[in-house]
Amino acid sequence: MSLSSAVLDYLQAQPGVTFKRLYLQPPTVLAVLRRMLPHLAKNIIMAMLFMPEPFLEEDLLTWIRAEARPQRDEAMTVLEQLHILTLVPEPPTPRAYRLNTAFASSLRQALMGGGSTNSFGVPADKDAPGPKRTVEELDKWARKQWEAILYYMVGSAEREYSREGNISSGTRKLLEMGEFIIMRGGRADITKGGFTFLLQEANAQVWTLLIVYLENSESVSSIHTKSKVIENQSKDIEQLQMDPVEMLSFLFMLGSLELGQDYNTESLTKTQFHMLEDLHDFGIVYHPPDARGRFYPTRLATTLTSSDASLLSNPNSSLSMNSGKGSIILETNHRIYTYTSSPLQIAVLALFANLNSCYPNLVSGKLTKKSIQRAVEKGITADQIIDYLRTHAHPQMLKNQPVLPPTVVDQIRLWQIEGDRMEATPGFLLKQFVNANEYRETAQYAENLGVLVWRNDREHMFFVTRIEQLQQYLAKRKTQAPRR
Amino acid sequence: MAPKRKATGPPKGNPAKRIASGVNTPRSDVQSNDDEYMEEGDKRFMEKLSFKTYVDPQAVARPHLPGVFRHDFSYLALKPDHADRPLWVDPDRGRIIMESFSSRFKEAESFLINIAEPQSRVSLIHEYTLTPHSLFAAVSVGLTTDDIISNLESLSKTPLAKSVVDFITTSTKSFGKVRLVLKHTKYWIESNDAEVLQTLLRDSVISQARITSTEIVTEAAPKMGALVISGTSMAAGAKQAMGKAKEEEEDIVPDANKEADAIKNQLLDEDEDEQADQVHSFEIAPESVQEVSKRCKAIDLPLTEEYDFRNDYANANLKIDLKPGTQIRYYQEKALHKMFGNGRARSGIIVLPCGAGKTLVGITAACTVQKGIVVLATSTMSVIQWKSEFMKWANIAPEDITTFISGGQKEPFRGNTGVMISTYNMIAQAKGRSHHSQKMMDFIENREWGLMILDEVHVVPAKMFQKVTYKVKSHTKLGLTATLLREDDKIQELNFLIGPKLFEANWQELSEQGHIAKVQCAEVWCPMTSEFYSEYLKAKTTGRRNLLFTLNPRKFQACQYLIKYHEARGDRIIVFSDNVVALQHYARKMDRPFIFGETGQEERQRLLENFQYNEATPTIFLSKIGDTSLDLPEATCLIQISSHYGSRRQEAQRLGRILRAKRRNDEGFNAFFYSLVSKDTAEMYYSSKRQAFLVDQGYSFKVITHLSGIQDMPGLAFSTPAERRELLAAVLLLNESHAETEKIEGDLFSAARPGARKKAGGVKRTANTLADLSGGQNMAYAEYDRKKKAEVGKKTKGGAFMKKLKREQERKRANAADFN
Repeated sequence: MSLSSAVLDYLQAQPGVTFKRLYLQPPTVLAVLRRMLPHLAKNIIMAMLFMPEPFLEEDLLTWIRAEARPQRDEAMTVLEQLHILTLVPEPPTPRAYRLNTAFASSLRQALMGGGSTNSFGVPADKDAPGPKRTVEELDKWARKQWEAILYYMVGSAEREYSREGNISSGTRKLLEMGEFIIMRGGRADITKGGFTFLLQEANAQVWTLLIVYLENSESVSSIHTKSKVIENQSKDIEQLQMDPVEMLSFLFMLGSLELGQDYNTESLTKTQFHMLEDLHDFGIVYHPPDARGRFYPTRLATTLTSSDASLLSNPNSSLSMNSGKGSIILETNHRIYTYTSSPLQIAVLALFANLNSCYPNLVSGKLTKKSIQRAVEKGITADQIIDYLRTHAHPQMLKNQPVLPPTVVDQIRLWQIEGDRMEATPGFLLKQFVNANEYRETAQYAENLGVLVWRNDREHMFFVTRIEQLQQYLAKRKTQAPRR
Repeated sequence: MAPKRKATGPPKGNPAKRIASGVNTPRSDVQSNDDEYMEEGDKRFMEKLSFKTYVDPQAVARPHLPGVFRHDFSYLALKPDHADRPLWVDPDRGRIIMESFSSRFKEAESFLINIAEPQSRVSLIHEYTLTPHSLFAAVSVGLTTDDIISNLESLSKTPLAKSVVDFITTSTKSFGKVRLVLKHTKYWIESNDAEVLQTLLRDSVISQARITSTEIVTEAAPKMGALVISGTSMAAGAKQAMGKAKEEEEDIVPDANKEADAIKNQLLDEDEDEQADQVHSFEIAPESVQEVSKRCKAIDLPLTEEYDFRNDYANANLKIDLKPGTQIRYYQEKALHKMFGNGRARSGIIVLPCGAGKTLVGITAACTVQKGIVVLATSTMSVIQWKSEFMKWANIAPEDITTFISGGQKEPFRGNTGVMISTYNMIAQAKGRSHHSQKMMDFIENREWGLMILDEVHVVPAKMFQKVTYKVKSHTKLGLTATLLREDDKIQELNFLIGPKLFEANWQELSEQGHIAKVQCAEVWCPMTSEFYSEYLKAKTTGRRNLLFTLNPRKFQACQYLIKYHEARGDRIIVFSDNVVALQHYARKMDRPFIFGETGQEERQRLLENFQYNEATPTIFLSKIGDTSLDLPEATCLIQISSHYGSRRQEAQRLGRILRAKRRNDEGFNAFFYSLVSKDTAEMYYSSKRQAFLVDQGYSFKVITHLSGIQDMPGLAFSTPAERRELLAAVLLLNESHAETEKIEGDLFSAARPGARKKAGGVKRTANTLADLSGGQNMAYAEYDRKKKAEVGKKTKGGAFMKKLKREQERKRANAADFN
């Protein structure tokens, strides 16, 4: 059970109304249940799903063992935060919980079927015009698009990648808004947040980007209006307010679709139809340019709400044989070997390792103090590097316990700390005194005030945290001096 | 589309740099300025054979990420079954990367150890480098060019690049044409092809070395003579292998096959012998052997040195054999097999970790050759150790072993031949010999030896070695060492002086199998106290800085803490310090015995024995003298407080002191190796350099930044600022010369002119201050000395007069102390 914390955080920040609307969609409810709740919370929901009456807190407590109290508290907190459970505020009766009505009915619908909403997508007509796409083609598309984004962020060889297709200006803008990159003189520079993003697991990456997309839905739409949608004949999009709830439920719906199946766009709202364009750019869906009435979810979409390792968990092994397996071997002599031929992974490795030779399926290099500190300077933390190495460790490494050699892990951390020993004190440096006397007396005065941080008697300079009083003091000295 | 580019463009740096690195010495990529140590001819030779002169015609890099890689071979095609093959071969530099988890790992490893230099053997991925020397060694153990190429091809994941094939071919093709032969105590260059000799003679270097009074001698190749053409003696080799069957059982089968082949060959060869097989040779001066050997390599005609000892009837046989029941370990056997692979003895170097039984390898080699044996060791102490080892492992008449050491008996053998053990210094000494030594030396110089065993061969500087080799004429030379490493590249010279590296053991493997102890390595970071650090920053000379970071009070505390901790565990601890001042200071403050260069032989012996057998003294402080050839199997923990800059060799040698720990096979036993480093000083930098070799052998150093509970330790020294200031004042008063590491008898490195070394008891001239003379520097020296002397006095049975004298002296001292 991997809590997609990014999504959870985003949802928890939403007002109650949003939830009300969200829970009207069965796919959303299903996704929330599957992906975002601790096991105990799931159990509680399932138990309460068909209860006609509110559930007494007393009874709930008897269900759960006393020693599992931390888990119970966690489950209850999440459930309340997501507005799934509410306390029934009836003073005379004892405290009781009620399942959110919309949630309950949607969940019942999702589990038992029925209802008329095409909330799980409408498969396209079999006879619809245009060629069909295979799963392989979709995977290829998804990988290409997503890697383009990552690769763009790595930024080390922008022009190199251009031959394989560039990312749209909308996506670029999005990355900028998410503060993953900063544009400096027409060139993208990756930020600290960007590195965090890059070193994340693929699924987390997708969600992180999508949440930025949701948060910035309004501005995103306007960008698209300018840059892209112009050729898209639908003029009314310009006035369109992208509704976050619709967007979110669309994403959850995508998560419940079937890979390889094409779906009809007619059941989508305008917002959702518009989103299709952007998601197409990200590689989350494939919206064939020659068949606007249909779209395919890619593996990126269908794994959105499942904890399965998506195809991109190792986005780099384009060789099918070791896809899904880690590829990095880290030795105790700090040498690092990676089975990869993907320019993307190589570029990521190059961020913190000193790469030396490259063979068709292997890259060899070394972690050095320099390479790690270079990474740290860029804003990558030692923990991010260690996490990346650990999640991408080669199966042979996994036989070790712990996976990474502890001495190397320590060393990486120590290298980071080494740079961290400075303590900055903002303040003022005073120098070039008229004479030693003036220096000495002023410094003494500063010391008496308690603002003196550092002094060098030989060079006649000192450093203070505050200057106002000193300024007055010096001015006073000046006026006094001629008199004397 | 990015522009195509050559993968192997001209290197940007100094061309010699890359060549030099990775040749023959296992080393990491950290350091590079080593070309200054290479000589001109050497460089040319290297360039000729180095990889960069070959450019792979298909070398067009995959157009991605330009600039990320210095070496991009992504253009190479993978073989379809690459997953089953364990190697990648670098077309630029001959680097080989190997998966140790491959199913063909064992096969690949034993092959690679023959043809390439191990660079790093950690756990999952190993690295090797092909070098001319390593290939030379490969051919000399009997691999042909085709064998090497086809084997490498079959193990490689990608098709071998043409550059690699060319490199192997060039490095190996001219091997075996010229031989260096020792006949009747004279050196001859010999070849079957008169043309080749003429080529050699046209070379200015070689023709100068030739002794012109002799003509080119042409004689029929002796059928059973000392120099049989390679291949014909295979049969004999097999017999020899059978003779040593108890050591080399595994090879009987292949050898039997060889035998059949060899007999066939021999028949063929005998026919040819009648017509053509003549040997031509000319004599060269003994002192220029090294030069000639080097020159021959430079002009692609490397000299081979082999000794067909079983067919040597000129020299008397020595009755020596391993004691029945002596089992040698598999890797020792492997190493020896390399040396005697084809039934003859070849010169070379065998590299085994400390404590893995180098001595036994030497003794077994001696038992195989069974001719006159010379053993050269670094110190008198190890001469004695060698002698007792010989007695322990081999059946040999005691009168057949003789030692040649200063102050010892000097007697030639009673019989025709025997084993002679001596030190490098004794042999190389130029003048000032006593009558007896001179007689002994004449005896040594005027005979032919079958085998010369060179212990700790890495310490021998070229000049001294040259002297040794031309004074002692031996057919074969066997170098033994644990660390074929030097910070300069002089280790290269050993290739010319002795021969190729025949075998190098894998440390990790040996320690896993329990042949050497498992060691936990740790680097303890001791922050400098602020007062020491500010002095450190102000200090103008390295000497002063050295003193400051060595005597850092926090380091002292850490040392104190570790000693206390490990003594409580029942460990026996050696503390190493290069800096004698620090050594004395630490030892006195903690009241533990110490030994350094000036400690007398007798006292040394006593202190060491105490350390080994006396429960009350589990800790001993040693200076550099303890680095090598000191056999202390009781030691289980080692603390290093100061060391010789970035010397990887010293680090490895010191680690070696605890590798032979007696308790190594106890369940869960670990030896401990601590290196104390003052944080934020040059020591940190040196420390990482020093560890490079061990880290590549698979040792990992855990960094300890804080010793838990150190603050609460009772009796912690320097816990008050006042004490620290006092120490600082003392340190600042110390003369700079104290920072220098001591020069020790037997440490051949530090001697500028080894020949000029004075014997023990001679006058020593040192630069000192007046304060030194008046005793101002020797803090509490007299006090300590007296205690020692008193203890010595109890043990030694001096005459009555001596006792009286001592008593008087003591009385005087006591009086003096009272006045103070």
